[in-house]
This record gives sequence, C-alpha cells and structure tokens, in this order.
Amino acid sequence: MKVPAPVMTDIDDVQRIALTVFLADDSHLDPRDVIPVFHRWIQTHAVDGLLIDVADYTHLPTGPSVLLVAHEGQYSLDRTDGRLGLQYTRTRPLAGTLGERLRVLGRTLAHAAGLLETDSTLRGAVRFAGNELTCVANDRLRAPNTAGTLEAWRPTLDTFFRTVSADAGWSLTREPDPGAPFGVRARTTGSTPLRTITARLTAAPDI
Amino acid sequence: MTWKHVLGERVPDDVGREIDTYENQMALKRQGKIDDKVFAETRLRRGAYGQRYDNGQRNDGTGVKPLPFPSNGQTKGPDTVWDAPGMQRIKIPFGGLTTDQMGTLAELAEEYSDRVVHITTRQDVQLHYVHIDDTPDLMRRLAAVGITTREACGNTVRNVTACPIAGVCRDEAFDVTPYAQASMRFLLGHPDTQDFGRKFKVAFSGCRQHACGLVNMHDFGAIGVTRTADGVTERGFEVYVGGGLGAVPHEAKRFEPFMAEEEILPTLQAMSRVFARLGEKKNRARARVKFLVAQLGLDEFRRLVREERAALPKDDRWAGYLDDLPAYGERPLKTGQALAEDTGSASFQAWARTNVYRQRQPGYVVATVSLPLGDLSSHQLRRLADVARRFVGDTVRATVEQNIVLRWVRESDLPALHRELDAIGLARPGAGSIADITACPGTDTCKLGIASSRGLAAELERRLADQMETLDHSVRGLRIKVSGCFNSCGQHHISDLGFYGVSRHVGGHVVPHFQVVLGGKWVDNGGAYGLAIGAVPSKNIPDVVRRITDRYVEAREGAESFYAFTTRVGKRALRSLIEDLMAVPAHDLDASYYRDWGDPREFGIGDMGIGECAGEVVSLTEFDLAGAESQIFEAQLFLEAGDFERADALAYGAMLQAARGLIKTQDIDISNDPEQVVTQFRLRFYDTEIFFDRFAGGKFAQYLFRRHTRGTPVVGIDTARQLIEEAQLFVEATHACQARLAAQPVMMAPPVHAAAADGRPS
Repeated sequence: MKVPAPVMTDIDDVQRIALTVFLADDSHLDPRDVIPVFHRWIQTHAVDGLLIDVADYTHLPTGPSVLLVAHEGQYSLDRTDGRLGLQYTRTRPLAGTLGERLRVLGRTLAHAAGLLETDSTLRGAVRFAGNELTCVANDRLRAPNTAGTLEAWRPTLDTFFRTVSADAGWSLTREPDPGAPFGVRARTTGSTPLRTITARLTAAPDI
Repeated sequence: MTWKHVLGERVPDDVGREIDTYENQMALKRQGKIDDKVFAETRLRRGAYGQRYDNGQRNDGTGVKPLPFPSNGQTKGPDTVWDAPGMQRIKIPFGGLTTDQMGTLAELAEEYSDRVVHITTRQDVQLHYVHIDDTPDLMRRLAAVGITTREACGNTVRNVTACPIAGVCRDEAFDVTPYAQASMRFLLGHPDTQDFGRKFKVAFSGCRQHACGLVNMHDFGAIGVTRTADGVTERGFEVYVGGGLGAVPHEAKRFEPFMAEEEILPTLQAMSRVFARLGEKKNRARARVKFLVAQLGLDEFRRLVREERAALPKDDRWAGYLDDLPAYGERPLKTGQALAEDTGSASFQAWARTNVYRQRQPGYVVATVSLPLGDLSSHQLRRLADVARRFVGDTVRATVEQNIVLRWVRESDLPALHRELDAIGLARPGAGSIADITACPGTDTCKLGIASSRGLAAELERRLADQMETLDHSVRGLRIKVSGCFNSCGQHHISDLGFYGVSRHVGGHVVPHFQVVLGGKWVDNGGAYGLAIGAVPSKNIPDVVRRITDRYVEAREGAESFYAFTTRVGKRALRSLIEDLMAVPAHDLDASYYRDWGDPREFGIGDMGIGECAGEVVSLTEFDLAGAESQIFEAQLFLEAGDFERADALAYGAMLQAARGLIKTQDIDISNDPEQVVTQFRLRFYDTEIFFDRFAGGKFAQYLFRRHTRGTPVVGIDTARQLIEEAQLFVEATHACQARLAAQPVMMAPPVHAAAADGRPS
C-alpha cells in the first residue's frame, strides 16, 4: 500500500516512538546471553514498565534479536545493518508533549542500557556509544516518512539532542527508504558516555 | 485524522462496515454490555486471538506472579484481560501475496506488533503482542490491500489452503488456485457456515503424491484430477472428508473419486449445512467434521451431504467463476530464460540445490525463501517485497512449511536474486531439508503450549544446519515437525520425525519433555499419521534425532524411505534405541533438564513443598503412569500387527492404570476392578473437577468413561487407533493432574463420599 499523503497533524499526537543506542565498536555481545538477563529483569522489576515476557528472535539477522515485552513498550536488543543496539519502543500512550516524552523514553532507554553495561553476567563486554542515536516514529498516519515531517520534528529533536549532549553538534539524517517509518539518525563527532547521557536526561525537567 | 478517514474508499464498503461493527462491539464490551463469551467469539472471528499470559499471570521462574494490567477489570473474553497482548491472525488464502500486501504486513508489524512477521502452517500470517485497541485500524489497513482477517479464527471456515506451486508444478493435473480462491470467496461469511460447533478446514492439491496441499488432514480436501470422456478432458476433484490432526487425529476418507468442478462449491455448502445441523455443539472436543464422519459412518455422511446438495436452491456463484478459468493465470514479469550450468558462487550452488524448483514452464523456476521458525523481520519483509517487485511481481506465496516462495523467477536471474536475498539475510539454504523445521508457537506465545517447540526447533536447526554438508544424503531430505502440545499445530503427525510437548513430574519438579512421534508420512498429501513411541526430556531430543537418523543411514535397505524403514524396523526396536534417553537425572545432578530450550527459567511449577507421605504416594502414582505408558506402546505394536482387539484392550488398560495411579494419591488400597477404578476416579477426580484441564475441562476423562461403558466392543483399525490416541491424552492429563496435586503444599484427600460407593472407607 502506498504511504498516505503527508498529514500535518500535531506532532504531539505521535506515540509509537522508538529510540536506539548502539554498541560501541569494541563491544562483544552474543545476543543469546541477554535472554537470561531480560528474564532476571522481569523477576527483579529492574526496568520501567509492566514486564511481561522475553521473546527470542536470535535467529533473525535484522530487527529485534531479543525482546523484552512490557505492557507499555518493548525493550529489544536490536540488529540494524549488522550492528547491535538497544532499542526502547513505546507502544502505549504516554502523557506530555513530544519533547517531554522523548526525554522520558531517553531516560528509560539509557537506564536499561546502563544495566546491560554493568551486568556482571555479560562480563563487562557491553559498552554503548554515546555519539549516535536513532529515533523512529512507528506511525505512518501522523508521521509519514517525508521531509515535511522532519521539518516539523526538527526543533523538538534539536532540543532533545542538546539535552543528551549539549556541546555536541548533532547531524540529523532522515531514513532514506520511503517504505520505512519516519526515522532520524543522529550522529555527532564527539562521544558522550552513557552515564552522562543518563544524568543529563534525568536532570531534565520531568513531565 | 484516522486511518478510517485516510483510507476512505480503499476499504470496500461491506468490509468497512464489518470493521466498524467490530469496533462498536469493542466499545459495548468495555461498557459491559456484551457477554465475555460472545465477545470472545466475535473477536476470534476477526482473527484477534488470545496469547499466553493474557489471564494476567506468569511464572517468572521463581513462581507464578500476577501481571497487573491497567485494565481495571476489563476483559475481552473469559479469563482474558483486556490490556494483555494478543495475537492477530491474518488469512492469506492459498498463501497468495502481492508485493503491496507484503509491504502493508511489514508496516503493521512495525506499528502494532513486535516487528516480526510469522508464517503459519496454514499459510496464514500472525502478528504477536498486538493490543486489541489497535486491531480495527490494523484490519482497515489490511482491507485496503485486499486482505481480510474475517473468520481467521473461531468456529468458522478457516483459511483455504492450496499447493504453493499450483500452476507451475510439473506433476499437477491442473492449477487448483482459482478453485481455492472461489471456495474462499464463496464460503466467507456465507450464512451456512456461521453455526458450526468448531472450525472447518479446506485444502486443495494438484496431485496425489506430494505434500504441498496436505489434503489428508483436512475436513474437506480436494485433489485435482482429470478424466476423458468421448474425447473430451474434464476437470474434477478426488474429494476427501473428515481428516484432521489435533488431539485425536483422523485420516481423511475418500468421499468421491471424481467430483465435477462445478460441484465443488455446492458440495462445500451442503457439507457445511450438514455439519452445522448434525455436528457436535456442546462438546468442543468432538465438534469437528472428523467426529461426525466417524459417528455417522462415511456412507451415511455422504448420503446426507448428497441429499442436502440435491435440495439446495441454485446459486449462480457455484459455477460463475468457471467462465473466467480460461483467462486465469499469472503473468510472468520477464521472459523465461535458462541459466547456464555451473554458474555462480559455491553458496549460490548450495542454495540452488535445495531452494530452487524448476517450473514446468521452460526458463522459469520457483525460489524458496527459507524462514527460520517461519519468522522474518518487518525490515526483511519490506525489502523482500522490493525484491519481488523487481524479479517476479505479485506471484509470491506462503507455504505450509512456513516459508515463502517466489514464483516465475527467470532462471537466468537466479544468481542476482540470490545476491539480493543474501543481502537481506534471506538466502538460507536447505529449504525442505531436515534443517528446515516446522514449529508451532508453543510456549513462546500460545496459551496451550506445554513445551517450547520453537526453542527445540531453533536448537535443532542450529545443529543440523552446521552438519548439512556432512549429513548422509538420505537424511538431508527428512522432515522434522514440532508442536508445543498434542494439538498438532506443528503437524508432528505427518513428519518423518515428529515431536510434541508434554511434561513429566520428577522428584518434586516438572520436567519439559517431548513425545517422539514416528511413522508419519509427509508425502502423499500427509499420507500417514505417526504415533508416539515415548516421552524424552527436551534436553535429550537432539540425541534422539542423531541416533534415529544414524540408525536409518546404517540399516537402510537400498532406496528405502524413512517411512518404510520405521515400518520395517518397528517401533519396539526404535524405542529401545532411545530408551536410555528417557531418564531424567536428579535436579541437583543436572538442573539443565529442568529448563526448556531457550528459556532460563525453571520449567513450570517446581519447588513447592511436598509432604513426605505425599511423596511416597506420588511415587506409586508415577509407577502406575509408567505402566500405563508401556501399555499404550504395546497397544501400538498390536495395532501395527493388525490385532485391533488387543490394541484396544491395552489402550483401555492404560487408562485404567493411570486412573488407578491417581486414585492412589487418596486411596492406596484401590482395587484393580475396572468398575471400582472408574467409579472412584469419577467420584474423586471428575465430579470434583480436580482432573479437569484448564482449557479442555473433563474431556480426557470422558475418553475413559466412554470406553468403559462400551464393554467389549467390535474393534476395527480406526477405533483402535483412536482409542490409543485417547489413552495417550488421558495419560498426559493424568501426569498434569498429578503435577498439580504435587504442587500443593499439603496433599489432602478431598471429602469424597466414597464409602457409600464401594463399601470401604475413603
């Protein structure tokens, strides 16, 4: 089906948003090692949300590899273009403006990523790079993958990325595949450690 | 702005109204104005299924914990929480997909599901972790590309399946696709198909010998055949009825050797009416066509259907589509062209050996995209749609082996196609091989799953894929199929090596097991059903595969098929080959046996305190259960030897022994007298509902009661075989009941007035 014509709705209506941070080049992680970690997170309520179950998709070369399903969203060790990252996708509505929600999602993601970085069963092999993030809107109705959507989102994204790393010059690239959901890849030459990102997002005003 | 508004006229009016009605019913349900059961059937008929943990609880490995969904007590069916994630089944008639439909499915997986698209064993698509509030828009978006989810579940005519290479097959009588399509359109929403007690499955095949259509396991299966009269070749169908897998499998029976093509739709309508009128409605366990055929006898069933057919008022749709048949057919995107031999890389050659089928049309081939566990990511599906657009157009089909085929590939394009598929991780070789394993969702997402069928299949695929190049040629083409429970959604009955999930209670823990099923036939449209030869801990199943396939390679006579080999060698010898693998080491010696594949949690209910006395009683019960299983196995051997009466007696004896074992948890002095056993079992475990399965209720107990009431019956092969299947299920239910009892902190006998029944104190 063809993507509907761009619809300029209030960007604050977009709810299904995914943020991803990527593993640093020197990280080594077998996705299957994350399965018991996610199960343990359910037992200990280690991350935000009503945690339901773990899905093993390690047989897939792209997309979610290991998924921790929550009622409100999904945590996934994700594989995109051969790279592993941690993604948090919000699936149920969250109050606040788009900017406020991005900060909440960022904090949720950074907290989970921090837990993986410090998980002793993963033998310290995990480190997330702080110089690249993606933000995807899984909502073709309210956020078609067009230049217009990027234009509408850019001020909010700029603010969000300044919060993540104030002194970095982020460059934003829109997802080039017109069939893919609207997404932005944000890169910066500098690198901010995950714990700094977490701290900055935590310190940012809550909704 | 809503999808309803944006899609507008792209959603056909009637379909749009149906979805609006469904959305209204959702609103009414939330207002408490629709009964739980009624709404459950309503959403099921739209393909919105339940999913594991939708009852609001889950064992997290330390015990069963509540999942406090924010639904405020709202439910979407009995014991089903509104906010719990669900599965959306999407009907894909005969598996046929256009590239636009593929793109839409990818979008829906991204926006409403978990970015994974799953192909089922009935050529459907399933999306998991879908919130029910999202389903109306999901359905509208599907409707805009010509897909309906209507009657994807529920007591309806399910997806009409057909051979995925119909029209290009070298062995078919003719292309059955238009007949499958016409049947689907005619039956969908037809008034005569709305009042069934259970589902109704239809399949079409273009030949007798291959497996692509699996006619033998369908309520109504049609094999395309031709005959010549007065120099004119006529198309028709060899029609089979009353087949089905499930808990109690039945092989289909031949209804008619040649049914004229114009009679297919009216016969389906007549059969639907007979099934709706006479089929079981109250007892879901016996509400399929197979039970009606068995109950009435084939001749009487046939007579009733023909009588009904004769009385039907003429409907122009019965034959209307036949006028369009001469024009029917796919148009290849490119002109056919052969490929020079020895072209391409080694990986291309390996892929081409297993994944490419030469069409009967010169210069064209079918390329199979082999999907691990039937899964592909939304990203892969979107890219695959792009590849299909460039190489074949809208000639894509899903298969019952959970793969996707691209038809009408120009043969000379194969190396380029392989490169493109490889770039998106879809050039896995080994399609249709022992490493291309079929598995139902099992405990991953299915509410009925007992053991992890996908976990086991993934493990076997990993091991076998690594060994493919060194495996003996005779083994490479075998089929492995895995179900998470006895319901056989993984089609374990019709594979060379079949497995279905069960559990066993060992030393206060529950251990995941799989029953090993041998004797099934994939070819000949699923031509023979296998039987279980014994339960093996999940952990040991890879060794079972290795030992049995090694023995096949060693003892194979000439070009003997695996089916012929298992028949010749016999189940006793094959069971003895794996008998030592049935043992479970104590938990403190090897705890890995107590976890399932791909899941680090302790399996099931494990570590609750059991009284010392109860422990003893449990061991006596286990002894009886082991004896019952032995009797079932012996019954199979007599069945194979043609001694149906002894097979029947042993199966009956197995149920009695299992029941007696359970009674011993309350009355250690229970006698061997069948009357006493059945009476006590009924009083203590049936009337109290202690034996009841959460989903099946008391149906397994009914198997014992029914056989007990029959006395000394006249037994044929079908009745003996059915009793063996029933006895196996009764024993499985006894295992489950025993596990539930053992999980109780203190096992106390419920107050049963048994003394009045047998004169002894209870």
